[in-house]
Amino acid sequence: MATTSPKMTGPSQQRRRSLATREALTGYLFIAPYLIVGGIFTYGLLFYVFGLSFTNLTAPFSRVAPQFVGLDNYVRAFSEPDFLRSLANVFWYFVVVTLFQTIGAILLAVLLNTRLRGIRFFRTLLYAPSVTSSVVIALIFFWLYQRFGIINYILGTEIAWLQEASHLFDPLWRTLGVQNPAYFVRGPSVAWMAIMVMNIFTTIPTFMVMFLAALQDVPGYVYEAAELDGATGWRSFWYITLPLLRPVVALVVILGTIGTFQVFDQAYVLTSGGPLQTTLTPSLLIFQKTLGRQTTPEAGFGAAMAFILAFIIVVITIIQRRYIEPATQQ
Amino acid sequence: MAVTSKRGTVATPRSTNRQPGGLSLGAIVRYVLLTFFSLLAFSPFILSFLGTFKTPAEITAFPPTILPQNWDVNNWVRVWNFTIPSVQGLLLPRWLFNSTWLALLNVATQLFFCSLAAYAFARIRFPGRDFFYFAIIASLAIQAAVTIIPAYVFYSNIGWINTFWPVIIPRLVVPVGILMLTQFFKSIPKELEEAAYMDGLGRFGTYWRIALPLSRPALLTFAIIAFQGSWNEFLAPLLFLQNPNLMTLPVGMSFFRFQYTNDLTAILVGAMFNAIPILVLFFFFNRYFIESGSYSGLAGQ
Repeated sequence: MATTSPKMTGPSQQRRRSLATREALTGYLFIAPYLIVGGIFTYGLLFYVFGLSFTNLTAPFSRVAPQFVGLDNYVRAFSEPDFLRSLANVFWYFVVVTLFQTIGAILLAVLLNTRLRGIRFFRTLLYAPSVTSSVVIALIFFWLYQRFGIINYILGTEIAWLQEASHLFDPLWRTLGVQNPAYFVRGPSVAWMAIMVMNIFTTIPTFMVMFLAALQDVPGYVYEAAELDGATGWRSFWYITLPLLRPVVALVVILGTIGTFQVFDQAYVLTSGGPLQTTLTPSLLIFQKTLGRQTTPEAGFGAAMAFILAFIIVVITIIQRRYIEPATQQ
Repeated sequence: MAVTSKRGTVATPRSTNRQPGGLSLGAIVRYVLLTFFSLLAFSPFILSFLGTFKTPAEITAFPPTILPQNWDVNNWVRVWNFTIPSVQGLLLPRWLFNSTWLALLNVATQLFFCSLAAYAFARIRFPGRDFFYFAIIASLAIQAAVTIIPAYVFYSNIGWINTFWPVIIPRLVVPVGILMLTQFFKSIPKELEEAAYMDGLGRFGTYWRIALPLSRPALLTFAIIAFQGSWNEFLAPLLFLQNPNLMTLPVGMSFFRFQYTNDLTAILVGAMFNAIPILVLFFFFNRYFIESGSYSGLAGQ
């Protein structure tokens, strides 16, 4: 700072500096609650999980001091059939759910983006599925998906949706004559797809309102100009609306990715990972390994799996940012 | 029909293909589609609400009925009176009570601490401000699935398992609220606050007496996000509140589902106990809910 003429500015500058110090202290005081809470329960725990992933800690409350085991947990994770299976499951879940919830949300937002009478009433009804908890929705669909339930009645089928372990691509491999295809290429199981449909049902409205907010920020003259150029209906949707929505698409896809990779509630409540572990997710596996209800708890191993999951999510979202977002800069 | 823009401010009547007084074909198609999707979206709630009044035989009848043959409130009474040997007293009222006071407490602390921090980020100059703000944005990516294990280990060591602390203390203040309210405070003019500050009201006084009252809509919108988040939260309470006495409604309902795998009416009543309070709130404050929905994502940008 300019302190070349202390005589002239000295006292007032000193006052100003002490004011600035007070101001800064007030700022820190105001954000102190977050610094403490976030420092311990978010960042602190993140470092802690990283540390734990290199140990053989068993039960969280174990009296035996955990030992450092290097990369053992990570090596083991990639040869653990359950973990690989859960990754395959969650990958299909991410692809299907993110794709359909984004498309569905865009279409509904476009449908709602109009000046028709009573549109707010429809908007309210359409938003309702995302208001309630995933547990409520899961319990309701538990009933709807029963073998003698309403969904089978409407479809004219008799499928035990949540117990059916056959996979989407099984018929394809059978006709090709491939014996024992790898788990991953068999695609999601019927039970898993039933949970996907339920999840899409609840998340479409969440993302719909984001797209709707973005659509309402598009000034009317944009479409008028397009209309003069002969772009109406689908052409105007394809060439005007979609490109304008691109930043929101990026956001929705990234939020969807973060959400789907951690899916837990629905799988826990509806199927607990079954049938034949075709709905087992990494979060569910980590949960089981930590609590150890079925086996001995292995918190260190669970921590390594949690860290791998976090790493996969970060890598995929970075790739998505690179491919969806740059075009918005144009 | 072309995609119409409907912002109130852009009041250019451009619907050339809409006759005054009549409905265009496009509008009719739109109404039909909207009605169909609204029914689809809302029917699971209606069907299961109606289902709660059916007898156990009727609920699994095939072909299924829509309206119950005899309206039977016994299921509701049965679920309300649900007990287990290891716990004294009724469980459902207790879960309802736990969920309610926890949600209210979470909303209160988050409104205060988030707006306080947001005010500092929007108005006060201090070294490291941008760094801390970035840390808050980055923390959105660190999700529960990653931190549950260390949290469980940590809480076990300090004796927090089966206490309410793990669902109160880490939620005193949440990143999404700070981000959302910071954006809001930045959007309102400073002049009023500056005048008050000059009059010697001090920073806290300015925040409390001037900035907060001006932010009522934003605070209400955030309160909805906070309430919904707390009311619907599942993973953390499932892990940390294992004692049936301490459970919240969603955890209690899942506990219930595993106790009564085949009692579908009871399961549906349980779901309704969880869904109805938030749906009622939603129909009263739907504008704020929907605003919060469009906001919660954008705050993360």
